[in-house]
Amino acid sequence: MANKVLVVDDEAPVAELFNDLLVKENCIVKSVGTGEDALKAIKEEDFDVVLLDIKLPGISGLEALKYIKDLKPNTTVIMITGFGYDEELIAKSKEYGCAGYIGKNMPISQIMSSFKLFTKAAKDKK
Amino acid sequence: MSKQRQIKENFIASIIDSADSIMVYIDSAGLVILSNKKIEEMIGSSRSEILGKHWFDVFSQKFDKPMKYQMLKAMIDDSMKYRRPNNFQSAMLDCQGSEHFISWNITPIFNESKNLDGVFLLGNDVTLFKEREASFKNIDDTLKNIFSSIKEYALYAINLDGNITYYGMGSEFLFGWPKDKIIFKPVSVLHNYDDVAYKLPFILEQTRKHGQYELETFLIKKDGQSFPVILTVSQLLDTGGNLTGFIFMAKDMTERKKMEYQIFQSEKLAAVGQLVAGIAHEINNPVFVISGRAQLLLSKKPLSKSLKSDLQAINNQADRIRKLVDRFLSFTRKMPPKPELLDINKVINNVLPFLVYHKLPEYSHHVKIKKSFDKKLPHILGDQHQLQEVFINLFINAYQAMHKGGFLTIKTEKLDDQFIGICISDTGSGISEQNMKNIFMPFFTTKRAGTGLGLSICYNIIKGHNGTIDIESELGKGTVFTIKLPFVKKERKNGK
Repeated sequence: MANKVLVVDDEAPVAELFNDLLVKENCIVKSVGTGEDALKAIKEEDFDVVLLDIKLPGISGLEALKYIKDLKPNTTVIMITGFGYDEELIAKSKEYGCAGYIGKNMPISQIMSSFKLFTKAAKDKK
Repeated sequence: MSKQRQIKENFIASIIDSADSIMVYIDSAGLVILSNKKIEEMIGSSRSEILGKHWFDVFSQKFDKPMKYQMLKAMIDDSMKYRRPNNFQSAMLDCQGSEHFISWNITPIFNESKNLDGVFLLGNDVTLFKEREASFKNIDDTLKNIFSSIKEYALYAINLDGNITYYGMGSEFLFGWPKDKIIFKPVSVLHNYDDVAYKLPFILEQTRKHGQYELETFLIKKDGQSFPVILTVSQLLDTGGNLTGFIFMAKDMTERKKMEYQIFQSEKLAAVGQLVAGIAHEINNPVFVISGRAQLLLSKKPLSKSLKSDLQAINNQADRIRKLVDRFLSFTRKMPPKPELLDINKVINNVLPFLVYHKLPEYSHHVKIKKSFDKKLPHILGDQHQLQEVFINLFINAYQAMHKGGFLTIKTEKLDDQFIGICISDTGSGISEQNMKNIFMPFFTTKRAGTGLGLSICYNIIKGHNGTIDIESELGKGTVFTIKLPFVKKERKNGK
């Protein structure tokens, strides 16, 4: 079954790449550039997975994560960042209920396998 | 008695009465013949009560404190017996019981046949002067106390031959030399020899020219250790204004320099960290897009051979940048652990020289390192850089807790069939119970220049290695950190 994914990243080339990578994995993808737009989209329709950049203009990724989990607790949220591995951010994201963490510094193959792994684990939980 | 004489005597009497000094005339038997208003007011008696009585009774009648007048009595007796004047100071009580300091002037008076007729007592109240003098003495004492409590200052002087003529206020503490070992020694004992040969003549010349000269330099302690000071040199002049030597005031800058060094270090690290994290983010995004796009294209079929190899080159080089950024990120502690088989003894040995010789040069003299390594310590699976960081943090803490010197003991051993233990203990200042509660909290620090991240990072790293870190400490005795890490069993190692 195809996953419906919302990509939240303010850098268009990054969002577009995620779009193409995920479409190749048979996902239905929508992308937005801010946390505010993400919340608007999530209010309007249900997504299976949200790929959420931590560094966003306006409300931060962490805040957006909190709101998304309040709005639609069943949505699987995976955090993405260009900062690489960060204990504090991971701890905070987990506290707010994210399913996993993807660094843009990982090889593409690892990013996609992590995405599949987190999505599957979240689905199994439900 | 002629009228004229009467007028004259009255005039003299009025002068005597208006004088602000005590005036008393006593005969050779000690009886009071003449007194003036000042003494009458002071002892609170009328003239009629005084005249004809023995002076001693008159003075001590209100307050029975004859001891107060022993000095006066001795001096009056002396003047009568040896027929000589006496000048001295002694205390007396007024009718209110307040003590006054009187400067006495006792003059023997002789009759026409040159026999002693009596003595004239002239007394000036100098209480105010005494009090002022006392307050000056107080200021002197206070200044001395202030100077002796400011330990980082030393005051010493040399004569024109370059020999130490004064060695006071804080000098013993700062230099470690006792006064009697240093006085009249050449000043080269306190300054280093090169300075005395090359720098000091210049300094003294500048001081001569400008009256005072200030510079940052180094002085030498008794144990040979040099320490940074701000040195202020002034001319020492005699009352005629001739140069007789030079006064040196040295302010110990050791602590200040240490602090500046620490602040510099932490600021540098923070700045590097921020820079690297910022760059990493900016680079990771485009590199991610480049390699992602290359890989997407690579998956499209059909693909000509040359296009494929071009795309692979793009992908490989993008990957290279990605790895490079990853290595930079290891500085900012934001890297996932890269586990490898490690000998903890080696990891510690690699850290130590770096620490002692590059990171903490000003501490390295005082602290002795004792190593007790288990030579058969089993290997662990861990990230070398992260564990190095743990040890650097713990060693720096230990060194900083022992700024007066001490022992850093590092012990490694196999604890049981699962864990190895690394024990790092210092003999430093220790940690209070209150601070122990927050010791691993991020941003908790007791250091002025601390970031409060060191131990929280250690904690996270050890936790990430499935180990534990524990702390025991006693104020004034020292601190012990015990790290437990799971080791790799032989079978697994062989199976790898």
